[in-house]
Amino acid sequence: MSIHLIKPSNRKTTAPKTLVSRDCGPAGCEIDWLTSRRVAADDDIEAFTSFSLEQGWGDGLPLIPPTDARVRMILSENDRYPDELIARMPDSSECTVEKIVINAVMAGAPADSLELIIAAIEAIAEPDFELYGVNATTAPVYPGFIVNGPIRDALHIPYSDGCAGGVATRANAIGRAIRLIMRNVAGQVAGVTTQTTFGSPGRLGGLLMGEWEEKSPWAPLAERRAGIVGNAVTAFSTMGTMNILDTTSSGAHAFLEMIGKSVSYAGANCYSPSMEYAEMTIGINPICADIIAKELPTIEDVQEILWNCAAVPADWFQALHRDQLAAQGRIRSDGRVYATPEPKDMILFVCGGLGGLHALGLHSFGSSLAQTRQIATATPASAVQAAE
Amino acid sequence: MALIKVLDPTARRMDDDASPGPDAGALAGKRIGFRLDQIWRCWDWISESWAEKMRNAGAEVSFWRSTNRSGEEGEAQNQSLQAWLATIDIAVVGLANCGSCTGWTIRDAIAAANAGVATTAIATRNFEDFAHELAARGGRSGLRVHVLPYPLNELSREEVDPVAQAYFAGLLEVMGGSLTAEEKAA
Repeated sequence: MSIHLIKPSNRKTTAPKTLVSRDCGPAGCEIDWLTSRRVAADDDIEAFTSFSLEQGWGDGLPLIPPTDARVRMILSENDRYPDELIARMPDSSECTVEKIVINAVMAGAPADSLELIIAAIEAIAEPDFELYGVNATTAPVYPGFIVNGPIRDALHIPYSDGCAGGVATRANAIGRAIRLIMRNVAGQVAGVTTQTTFGSPGRLGGLLMGEWEEKSPWAPLAERRAGIVGNAVTAFSTMGTMNILDTTSSGAHAFLEMIGKSVSYAGANCYSPSMEYAEMTIGINPICADIIAKELPTIEDVQEILWNCAAVPADWFQALHRDQLAAQGRIRSDGRVYATPEPKDMILFVCGGLGGLHALGLHSFGSSLAQTRQIATATPASAVQAAE
Repeated sequence: MALIKVLDPTARRMDDDASPGPDAGALAGKRIGFRLDQIWRCWDWISESWAEKMRNAGAEVSFWRSTNRSGEEGEAQNQSLQAWLATIDIAVVGLANCGSCTGWTIRDAIAAANAGVATTAIATRNFEDFAHELAARGGRSGLRVHVLPYPLNELSREEVDPVAQAYFAGLLEVMGGSLTAEEKAA
């Protein structure tokens, strides 16, 4: 038996950083640093939304026309050069600050969310996130994001009631901006560059939530994963959101058993023969986290128990499935197949309302490994210019 | 209604090599490599069948199996792929039979084609357009793609073997390969 352990690689994206002037503000500048093609469109939201669909730019929801002035406004409130290359996407297309800002404008994302969006794009462009497979697959997978640090409140990123969707906040526009970048730059277009059989609501507005650090008995996720204290974003792939109800359990072990058994089912991607490993992201509500932590003080203990429960007996699988799993060495000496190679691959964070009673299962694609990035602090270009 | 100018939010690579790459030519004496995966047993069966015909035609056949593409294993896979490509003259790369596996099939086929290896990607019917789309987006719009029927992996070995037989001549045509009279007889 040879279990394939998840060992992150040393590969990093090596996008070159080019530099130009930052003299462009909302009023424009003598030299035009914005290099995107200009296209004539009607100055009307409804007409522009229809136009964007004709152009293959849109997602069907209303869009704000990305005029020069709007794009320059966001640039002026940040400290980024428009032609700075942030990442190369799966087909080697260049994701520059300019393209990010144009899509952010269209989605209605606030100017002060730019550094979060950039960090999110950097995270999913890392080779280990395996965006190539995430984009192309028949699965409904999409990148989800967990935000840590004070930026959660500054950008109204939800981490309590309804954090996985439905809260009225402009953070939804940030999630949508990332989705538009996925569509317009990373090339995730259903039926064209992605073969997703069913898709997901998350492919429209994204999944952007915070960790309720103040209610967590453990260190913040980004600190545990990458030693980052403060503003950070963790990108993970998810097949959607799965709810796990438990109104009955009493005690840490009982809750964890219920969660572990629930996320581990035969048709989950973690048992796909195409990939020999997977991670599993799980949101634990603050009430449950508190109960668990009273019995299990370290997060490693929690991961260990959860991991032991997130497995299924090999004989639950039909022969053809079982044969493939056996050939990959995934059936362990106890006769079970585990959802993830090791306890560390259970990625846990605290979120959700104080009503408790539910956990949030976020199944990964498999080969796509979660990435955590620090979020830079933006200094408005106008302040930089004044200082100079 | 007033007209305004808006900025194009899209980005796409602009370079393209529309060439299909070199023909495979006569198979005798050539080193032919089959790129396999670990999900489609039908592709294992078909590649075994085709490999036997190619060996009978005087070719030397090797196999390389794609497994995990992230983490340290992914890094090792990339190195292993490059090393394997250096040992072959002709690459038969499959199987594009789902979304991500079409993605990785085409990605590896482009790597082979860019290395100067005579390359043909193998796709099933429902992923043919997708394979061409990804090849174009990967900068090799002229990549050769040989198409098998769909569904395929759902069939038994007894049903797949005739497919392998029936689609071998088409493979030779797409890859620009040829057999001598003696090889055809064999």
